Amino acid sequence: MAVNYDWKAIAKNGKYLELKRKKRVFLFGWWFASTFYYFLLPFLSGYYPELFKIKIIGVINVGYLFILSQFVVAFFVAIIYTRVANNEFDRLTDELVREIG
Amino acid sequence: MFAKALATLIVTFSLSTAALAVEQAKPVAQPTAAASQAAPATAPAAVTTAAPASAPVSAAPATAPAPAKVKPNRAITITMFMAIIVVTLGVVVWAAKRTTSAADFYAAGGGITGLQNGWAIAGDYMSAASFLGMSGLISLYGIDGFMYAVGPMFSFIAILLVVAEPCRNAGKFTLGDILSFRAAPKTVRGVAALSTVTVSLFYLIAQMVGAGKLMQVLLDIPYKVSVIGVGVLMVGYVVFGGMKATTWVQIIKAGLLMTGTVILAFLVMAKAGMNPVGFFTDIVNSPLIQDHVRMNVLKDAVAKPGFDYGQRFMEPGLFLKNPLDQISLGIAWALGAAGLPHILMRFFTVPSAKEARKSIVIALFINASFFFLINLIGFGAALYLTPQLISSVDKGGNMATLLLAQKMGGGAGTIGGDVFLAFICAVAFATILAVVSGLVLAASAAIAHDVYVNIIKGGNADQDTQVRVARITSLFVGIAAIVMGLAAEKENVVALVALAFAVAASGNFPAVMLSLFWKRFNTAGVVGAIVVGTVSALSLVMISPVMTYPQKIANDAKKVITTLEQKQVEGAVLTEKDLTALDKARADFKKNDGGTSMVGLKAPIFPLKNPAIVSLPLGLLAAILGTFMFRDRRAEEMFDEIEVRQITGLGISKASDH
Repeated sequence: MAVNYDWKAIAKNGKYLELKRKKRVFLFGWWFASTFYYFLLPFLSGYYPELFKIKIIGVINVGYLFILSQFVVAFFVAIIYTRVANNEFDRLTDELVREIG
Repeated sequence: MFAKALATLIVTFSLSTAALAVEQAKPVAQPTAAASQAAPATAPAAVTTAAPASAPVSAAPATAPAPAKVKPNRAITITMFMAIIVVTLGVVVWAAKRTTSAADFYAAGGGITGLQNGWAIAGDYMSAASFLGMSGLISLYGIDGFMYAVGPMFSFIAILLVVAEPCRNAGKFTLGDILSFRAAPKTVRGVAALSTVTVSLFYLIAQMVGAGKLMQVLLDIPYKVSVIGVGVLMVGYVVFGGMKATTWVQIIKAGLLMTGTVILAFLVMAKAGMNPVGFFTDIVNSPLIQDHVRMNVLKDAVAKPGFDYGQRFMEPGLFLKNPLDQISLGIAWALGAAGLPHILMRFFTVPSAKEARKSIVIALFINASFFFLINLIGFGAALYLTPQLISSVDKGGNMATLLLAQKMGGGAGTIGGDVFLAFICAVAFATILAVVSGLVLAASAAIAHDVYVNIIKGGNADQDTQVRVARITSLFVGIAAIVMGLAAEKENVVALVALAFAVAASGNFPAVMLSLFWKRFNTAGVVGAIVVGTVSALSLVMISPVMTYPQKIANDAKKVITTLEQKQVEGAVLTEKDLTALDKARADFKKNDGGTSMVGLKAPIFPLKNPAIVSLPLGLLAAILGTFMFRDRRAEEMFDEIEVRQITGLGISKASDH
């Protein structure tokens, strides 16, 4: 690697700390939330099957719609993450890199 | 050559663990056994064995059609197979000329775009078993099969949010690169390599056996010939073309697979008049599906009055029985994928974290669309083919997609049916080739890059040597996979893929996460996580219900004997089928009575099929204890560096740098 960075100094940089905090809150927050939602599926279907049997649209029941909602959640997380990362995280990273020179 | 000896050693280790793990429950065609064992087959795994025996002889519906067989048109199918082989070999020749450095071999020189890598990751992930096995599960067990597909779809979330970009920023080629960043490099690389080879080989054997059986069923090509053929092609791709060829084989395969899936799902929906509610209403009202649920799945000889057996197909619990097992399997899915070495390796083929992000998002979209469409194909197969027909061809339902393709193309014997069936067969074939190639590459990268270059040579090996060693290692890994695939012909290999995910979730995943996010994490922690995670996952499986318990087979056989002899005593004349069953039960009883499982057990001690719910906490605990017991100041000092790198991408390893 061509450049030798002063890692300790960067680790104390204000911009870096902001980026780190934002990333941590966003990434772990969404990760925990979506994982919790995912585990609702085996949990509810296993322990509360009656809930899944309630019919909503014709023969289509809560269970089927809940499975579909897992796909929607995955898409949603992917889209929102892409937007935030492309706009905010990448911008902050660029600013930080410029500041360090 | 030392590398060879070492490769042999590692392979032998994995072979022995694999041999232990392939010991498996043989399907027992008997009501009691089926009822207690009808828990999930665990994964996108071996194609022909994805589900438990579902149709006990005595409960077979009177209307069941005679056992059928999928009969593809050999000429058309083989032509399509040849076309795939020719195209992919062309890719290999093209890639071989451009593979001159270690970075080329392991990471395609970092020159893959996010879009390409997204398709390749999706290709790595959509195995033939999900294509054939999951639609089969849906066609036989309804909504439970669809629920099963959520795990592999969802596993991309963890990769996207917390693994892909940090790993791209902080790593180089392999799992060992990330883990050894601030730990004792040689120890950690050795452990990481062992874990990578174990996980990849488990996965690989399952794919090889599935491939062999698929070819055997479809084209009457003998099992051994298929395994060797697939193995030779896979070795050729990897040895000559490295990551570049493997990536393009994945992309081609993912493209073909999505094309086939979209067309098939579209044809199903077109037949249903593009009306999903009507489609599911037809399923619920289908008398044959109702019969199937009542007699084959729930085994109600007499219909319960007022019970809607058709609607039951849309309700959970026909296939997935034990909720704890589901949660355990969910852990393996949600976290295991992020620890799979052949998936981790794919992030290093793109030039930046931004491209890595893009590739995971694309892979997630492709994959989720795929699993959604599989649900339409599976339910379509249930409605338009009937579960009776599907299970008569293959008990696990693995032929559902293929039969549906034939039917939707115009039916058996028509040109449309033959061509579409041949196309779908060829897609399955390409799928297997691509997945096994990625696995061979990951295993040989661990041996050649971590063990040979970094442990033995201390990181000092010129590019030519590195590439040569990588090629030789791939050759040996490939040969080992072929030999193990041949040896495992008679085994039920479903458990192997589940095991790969469980090991990845319990060992690799905590190790990677803590390396990136915990300041105090150190060598002892990495070794603790991987060793305890792997060993506990392996040993729990060894004492779990997925192993073969001869005493249980004997007990079940005893019940059949008692029932049938009772019938005889009562003066009933046994049918020929009953007599055969009686003879078989007597033989089974004699052979298995008093026997014990591979580890000397009469019955499983651990109640779950998937160990992750226990082995992940154990791996995590070992990581934490190890870290606290052997405090390492240097690792803590270096945390700033790895953290800044993974968050910002500063000092990112570029393909041209090494």
